[in-house]
Amino acid sequence: MRILEARNMKYSYDGNKAVLKNISIEFEAGKIYAILGPSGCGKTTLLSLLGGLDSPSDGQVLFEGEDIEKKGLAFHRKNNVAFIFQSYNLIDYMTPAENVALTSKLPPLPILERLGFTKEEAKRNVLKLSGGQQQRVAIARALASDAKVILADEPTGSLDEDTAVEITGILRECAHQMQKCVVIVTHSNDLSKQADVVLRLKKGELVQI
Amino acid sequence: MSFLKRAGLYCLRQRFKTIILFLVLTLIATFMLTGIAIRDAAKGAAADVQTAIGGKIELNLDTEGHMGSGQQNGWGTVYGYNGDLITQDIVKAISKVNGVVDYNSEDTAAYYGAGVDFKYLPAAFGLSYTPYGESSAYTATLSSGKCSSFQSGKYKLVDGRHITPDDEHACLISKELADYNKLSVGDKVKMYSLDSDAISEFEIVGIFDGTEGASGNALTVDEIPANCGYIDCATLFEMFGDELNGYQQLTIYVEDPVSVQNVYDRISALPELKGKSLKLSIDTDEYDVVSTPLESLQKLVNTTIVMIAVVSACVLTLLLTIWIRGRKKEIGILLSIGKSKANIILQLFTETFAAAVIAFGASVPFSNLIAAKAGALLVSRVTRGTANLNVKIDAAYLLPLYLIGILLIAMSVIASSWTVVRSKPKDILAKMS
Repeated sequence: MRILEARNMKYSYDGNKAVLKNISIEFEAGKIYAILGPSGCGKTTLLSLLGGLDSPSDGQVLFEGEDIEKKGLAFHRKNNVAFIFQSYNLIDYMTPAENVALTSKLPPLPILERLGFTKEEAKRNVLKLSGGQQQRVAIARALASDAKVILADEPTGSLDEDTAVEITGILRECAHQMQKCVVIVTHSNDLSKQADVVLRLKKGELVQI
Repeated sequence: MSFLKRAGLYCLRQRFKTIILFLVLTLIATFMLTGIAIRDAAKGAAADVQTAIGGKIELNLDTEGHMGSGQQNGWGTVYGYNGDLITQDIVKAISKVNGVVDYNSEDTAAYYGAGVDFKYLPAAFGLSYTPYGESSAYTATLSSGKCSSFQSGKYKLVDGRHITPDDEHACLISKELADYNKLSVGDKVKMYSLDSDAISEFEIVGIFDGTEGASGNALTVDEIPANCGYIDCATLFEMFGDELNGYQQLTIYVEDPVSVQNVYDRISALPELKGKSLKLSIDTDEYDVVSTPLESLQKLVNTTIVMIAVVSACVLTLLLTIWIRGRKKEIGILLSIGKSKANIILQLFTETFAAAVIAFGASVPFSNLIAAKAGALLVSRVTRGTANLNVKIDAAYLLPLYLIGILLIAMSVIASSWTVVRSKPKDILAKMS
């Protein structure tokens, strides 16, 4: 089922250098998409546009067939998508449970427990957690928002191999069991091998491999 | 999670910053509260002075062009006033004017009386130019309490009452004269006037002191203040009939000196005064002496309050700007999960306001400690001791403080967070990574 779509989407910095050229792509629920490409090719920009962190210079982003600009980008970020970043992006004065509660659509503790946290760990300061644990908190926050689309920017980039495998497994579970659409920007071939659809961004154009 | 909960968590978890913010806000509130309290005290003192002193309007005879052509007698050419006098009708009309609270006529040495059944304190020369010995001077007045010697505090009524406009054959004498003749309030004395060649009887309605030690080396009895007294105007008119059918002068008292001009205008418009050779003038000298420095103090404190507010806003904005720059990532995260800009600004405002709520309350005792001393210092410098301030800060001052505080905090939070909040979340997060 088509859930997110980019239609004739272009993006350039200050109207000069074109980063994305006329990109049209559809994303479906229950699948993992991996977007590969060299550094600086615009992968993160593409993810930001799909998630409503910025607006395209031209073209549209549609969620369930509706232009996301119609209800506003903040609405799109709040209700339709959830982000997972390479640097976790957790609020440092909050506990894991409080970070997860920020999106507050679902109760945080069961989600954290499902991702391997004890009750005590869920009440610690996030800065006292390991990198893998922090990324699991970020995933829990994405799940708690109950968004249909999860946009992950290098989610395993800062993690060791074992933890990366573990996180990849969780993302697969999100897509295949929870029927979420997971779009991952990555350099990792291991991670891309787990994806249902692999896309490559090169010179501003997106090609399916 | 609501912005209130986020703000609460921030205040609790970032205790060091919250304490610094609390201290800064307490300092700001103490300065503001002190300023507001001193300004209000100065305002109150000015109002008290207004009520205590009141305003005065003087009605006098206009002697210019109304002194007649002059008549020759044994002493030379004597000029007599031939214009209008201040009649009872005029006084009655003035007394009914809105804003007039009292009036008085004080005609010094209007009556000279020799003691028929009492004696004056003796002077150097014992001149006996009347059948009853030497005469002393009496001031004819409608209200002796309003006479200058009583108003200035030189004389003080120690027994009985003052002469009022309804009195007839009433007099006030000094305590020295009363003691000298063993007279007391309620006694009646007889006086002979050489001018009317008649004996009049007066009841002593009051005794005043303040003349003691003021006789000096007087040559005549009327030069001894203790021999001089006050009589009512009605008896004077009765004695002199048509020769003196009006007052020489009238002082009109207005409750509020600020409205004295309005009362003056109303009196000027009275038909009873139209075309009369009388002069009406405003006398606010006494009020101005005290009120001008108080008004200067109010202006000074108002300027100080504005300066404190501006400096406070700048300090607060600077402090919040530094802290909010350090929270760019947090703002980016909140924007990325769909929190609106207004929601984020509300969180920042709530954090500061939560500290302010406690800081403003805590500033009351601090302000009370320094406001009284600062007020006393300021008032002594500005008014040179002509006024006193009663500076007191209570809970009622918290409302304006909170209103000003909310405004200051809102301005500071918006100014300090605007550049961060208006950035695109992508740009904030890109910089953070």
